[in-house]
Order: sequence, then structure tokens, then C-alpha cells
Amino acid sequence: MILLYDGSFEGFLSLVYEVYYEKLQVSSIVKQMPDTLLFERFHEVFTDEAKARKVLEGIEKHFSKEQQRTMCHIFLCDTRSHEMALLEYIRIGFKNPQELRNITNASLFYIQNLEKELLSLVHKMYGFTRFEELEDGTLYAKIETKFNIVPFLGEHFCKRLGNIPFIIHDIKRSLAFVKNDDIREIRSIASFETPNYSEEESQFKALWKSFFKAAAIESRYNPKLQKSWVPLLYRTYMSEFEA
Amino acid sequence: MKLTIEDKLSLLASSAKYDVSCSSSGSENNYKTGELGCTHNSGICHSFTSDGRCISLLKVLLSNICIYDCAYCINRVSNDIPRTAFSPRELADLTINFYKRNYIEGLFLSSGIIKNEDYTMQLLLQTLRILRHEYRFNGYIHVKLIPGASKELIEEATLLAHRVSSNIELPSSKSLALLAPDKTKEKLLSPLKYARDISLQQSTKPISMSTQMIIGATSESDFEILKLSSSLYQKALLKRVYYSAYIAVNNHKHLPVPELSKPPLLREHRLYQADWLLRFYGFSYDEILSENQNLDIQFDPKTFWALSNMHLFPIDVNHAPKEILVRIPGIGIRGALKILQARRFKQLHFEDLLKLKISLKKARYFIVAGKDFYRTTSLYTEKIKLALIHQGSNIIQPSLFDRSIYTGEL
Ligand code: SF4
Repeated sequence: MILLYDGSFEGFLSLVYEVYYEKLQVSSIVKQMPDTLLFERFHEVFTDEAKARKVLEGIEKHFSKEQQRTMCHIFLCDTRSHEMALLEYIRIGFKNPQELRNITNASLFYIQNLEKELLSLVHKMYGFTRFEELEDGTLYAKIETKFNIVPFLGEHFCKRLGNIPFIIHDIKRSLAFVKNDDIREIRSIASFETPNYSEEESQFKALWKSFFKAAAIESRYNPKLQKSWVPLLYRTYMSEFEA
Repeated sequence: MKLTIEDKLSLLASSAKYDVSCSSSGSENNYKTGELGCTHNSGICHSFTSDGRCISLLKVLLSNICIYDCAYCINRVSNDIPRTAFSPRELADLTINFYKRNYIEGLFLSSGIIKNEDYTMQLLLQTLRILRHEYRFNGYIHVKLIPGASKELIEEATLLAHRVSSNIELPSSKSLALLAPDKTKEKLLSPLKYARDISLQQSTKPISMSTQMIIGATSESDFEILKLSSSLYQKALLKRVYYSAYIAVNNHKHLPVPELSKPPLLREHRLYQADWLLRFYGFSYDEILSENQNLDIQFDPKTFWALSNMHLFPIDVNHAPKEILVRIPGIGIRGALKILQARRFKQLHFEDLLKLKISLKKARYFIVAGKDFYRTTSLYTEKIKLALIHQGSNIIQPSLFDRSIYTGEL
């Protein structure tokens, strides 16, 4: 049977609850009603806080901290359909936690790889995120990434930027990590205006571009290699790649 | 003529770019609440230049003025080029502003010799002091120790920086005498020895140090080069040796002619691979090469080693320990870890290895996996060589080959 849920973490936990207590045979899990004709049975799971909490308690009891972290990480890979693999992960973990390290199981191998993919994206974006200074001194970064990595970036830059207020804005997901003297949280951003930049901003951007150009060695020119490290996809907000 | 800060930056970054020993890894997190900057222990690349190298640090010279005349160096006193210098304040401000915008992990600071060694080292230190004491900057700082500078100055630099280095430049004393008459190997290594002694007296973990050798300007064999690197690693003097394919910038009777020479990039690449075998795969330099030999161009050093040691193969992937697994051509550390993890649950066959995304292109000639081994090519060196050449797995794609500077997986 095909299960439909709302895409939230609580929704997914409610789904796990129903699979267990109503012994559902699941063939796939979707976030949206498919618009093609279905020959299979279809069931919509409604997010239910009580059910979700019950499953969460079970998970906290049975799974190690590290495994719980893995589940959260997988959930941040929101552009992949990871739900079937995650369900399998939970099932196996409840039966025999030792077995979770068995990467000869396709679902478990998928989870391990997806988590690595997420963490490697996070690592790349630690470097590729670019801040611009606003009039009031706030540092403002725009990002567009295939997975939701705002929580990672928020934490990372809290450690680096000392007392400087900053905002990391995930444009496609309409989310932002906001940090200043009073708050430190992820918010949803309904709409925003182009901010005013500080007077010095364009000068430092120009200096950065000159540095970027001067650091290259002509006799080793190798744009293919460059592209394999910084695929075009990442370059949207990196000023050194602007024409 | 007065240069703008932008002109200076272009000039002094361009003079520093041939130094490759620039990576920001290997420092513990040093986060302090409310202060600017924190290092990251696996190193972060902030961009990649059009030659495909990682930009992690603001790599510049404080000045390209130099009283010395090293034959291979663009800044040598006998060259007629525009000269300039940053003031320590200018450089510190630039670093902070680049860091805030997340352009860089920190600063990589070196300099030509202005007036004399101590004067130059003082200017470098002044920059570091502004950054550390005034701006309370905790980001990464790598500083070149000026060979010949006095002990107290080297001591202070060691305490303020995350990494210090001094380039050996040329792999033998003979070559140094020929091309850099003002330098000797002892003089180049002595600041590193001071720095080590000083940092060992501190209770904290010793400071990390590195050096760079220019490859292809002089006639040393790869054997000599690897032997030198390995002795530096063994004395725990250095964390990293960097190899830099010689790029001819000057005419000199003992050097390749600029118009006719190309940087020996493939050789540089092979040296990085061999260096990786030294540092992470448990190989010794004399396993990789014998006296006066150069690294093979056709095969990577691990494959070449395996082909010369066929009596050690095939290796049983279901039983071999990690040290042995990593010696299989085509299986890197990551592959070995996956094998170790998976074989606790079942006996592995070729099919399982493929499912684990382990490439068998090279490895299949050298392993048994359960009942599986590669039947069509028997275990004779010449036959395997032919098969490897035939499938083209060793023809290096020039566009991608120097990735392994960073990953080094073989
Ligand atoms: S001392 Fe350094 S900067 Fe001066 S000529 Fe020699 S290598 Fe170049």
C-alpha cells in the first residue's frame, strides 16, 4: 500500500506508529498525492502528536545517540525520497541494533551513503558560504542547497563570528538562521527586501576578486579541475565567479 | 608611483602563489565565546582557482622586496619587477575583513627579505600581534619562519601561529649551493628545529610544521626526494612535505629554459601519491623505490609496487587485516573500512564489493573474494600489466589528476 504523509518529522513518526500498530504492508511513501492513476491501495497518515511522541520515546530507548543523529540527518535530505530506507532502518534497529552496521543490506548502505553525502555538502558549504556586510554591520549570506543544512551552518558560524550578528538565508526553503545579541534561531521567512549594504562592502568584494585572480598560476590553467571542485551549481552567490 | 591596496594585493598574492604548502587542516577547534575566529580540524577550502587549487588562506607576501638572489625565484634581487610592501596594519585589516565574509580560513604569511632577516621577521610578527592581541582573532595563521632570524623572534612566531614552515626548496645541498648560494639545508631547517623545541616545552600539543620542495629544477631522483621526506616525517619534525612542480620564471645557466619547459605536473602528482603511501598506508620509501629510481609514469606507485611483488598476492579480502587491505591497488582507506565493516555480516564476493561501490577495475587482479577471483588473467606480472594498460585505467586524465593532492586515494 502507498502511504501519504505531510513531510514533517512528526508526520513521519506518526506514520511509523501506524505501520507498527496497524501492521501495514508498505510499498512506497509519498509526500504528495501522485496525479497518475493508482492501482494500489492508498492510505493517508495524519500527523498526530501523541503517536509521534510514543514512537520517539521508543527510538530514544532503543537507538544510540549516534543512530538518532543519523536519523535526523537523513531527514534533512529533504529532496531525496529516503522514507522507505528510513522506515527499514527503524524496523531493523528495533529488532536488532547490532544489525544496523550491516552495509550489505541495501537500505542501510543507502542511509550510510546519504548521510555521507549530506555531511560532505555541509563541509563544502562551510567554505562556499559568502557573507555580505549590511549597513548596520550584520553579515548576511544567501544560500541555495540541495539539502537543508541551515542548522549546521548556523552552529558553525556562531563559533566563528564572535559577537557579530548574522543571518543565513536559505532562499528556496524560505528559512533563515538568525543570530544577534537577543536571538539565535531558525525562522521561516515569508518575504524579504533587498537589504542595504555597508559602504565598504563593494570594496572588499573587489579586493577578493583581485586576490582570486592573482592566486591562479597560468601555466597550470585547468578549468575542468576547478569545475570538479566547485560545480556551477554552487557558484550562484560566490562573487569571485561573477562575470 | 603610489600603488592602491588593490594593486598591492594583486602583486603580493601573485608573488606568493608558487608556494603550495597551504592547507588549514590539523588544528583542533579553539572556539572562545565572543571572539572572532575558530579553526576546523579537517581544513576548509573556500574557493578554487582557475588552475584547480584550493584557496583556504589569504596567501600573500608582506613584501616582494628581497636582498637575496635565489636563481629559481621571481622575487630575486636581480629581477626587474615592481616592488611593494603591506604595512602590518593593512594586512591585518584585510585578513579580518576577508575572514568575516567567509572568504578565507585565515592568513598564510611569508615575505621576501627586506633589509635583513630580523627586520623582516619583526614585521611579520607585528602583523600577527595586531591580529591576535588587538583583534583577538583566533582563525588559522601559518607563518613562514625566516631562516637566519633570531631565536626570540622565532619563538614568538611559534607561540602566535598555528603552523610554521620553512621551505627546503631544493632536495639536496648540492643543488642549493648551485641555485641558492645564500642558503644551506642546515640554515633552512634550523628555524624548524627551534620551533619544535620551543613548542615541545609548552604543555599544549606541538605546533604543526611543513616544508616545500621544488621538483624538476634540479637533477635529484624521486628516490632521493622520498628518502628526504621520509626522514623528515620520521624525526617528527614535519607534518607535511609539499612538492611543487618547477615553473620556470627566470633564465639561469643551471635551470631549465622558461620557454622550453613545462612544469612536470605528472611527476609532482606521482610524488604526492607516493608521499601518501608513506604517511597513511604504512609503506617505507625503499619499498616504493630502489636507489636512484624514479616513480613510474604509467602506473601509480601502489600498482607499481604490487606488480613488482606478485608473490604477496592474491589477497583474501575476507581475512586480510586492514594494513594489508590498503596495499591492494585500487582499494583505498575508505574501501578497506567498508570491507572490514561488511565482512562481519557475510562472506564477501565480487558482487558484494561492487554493491559497496568498491571499484574492481584494478583490484580484481590482486584479490580473492570467497570463490571469486579474476580467472581470465592469470597472476603473472606481465599479463596483468598488459590488462591494466589495455583497459586504460592507468592513463591519467590530465584534467583531473591532481585531485589526489587532497584525497590521495589510490
Ligand atoms: S630569499 Fe626567498 S624571496 Fe628572496 S630570492 Fe630567495 S626564495 Fe626569493
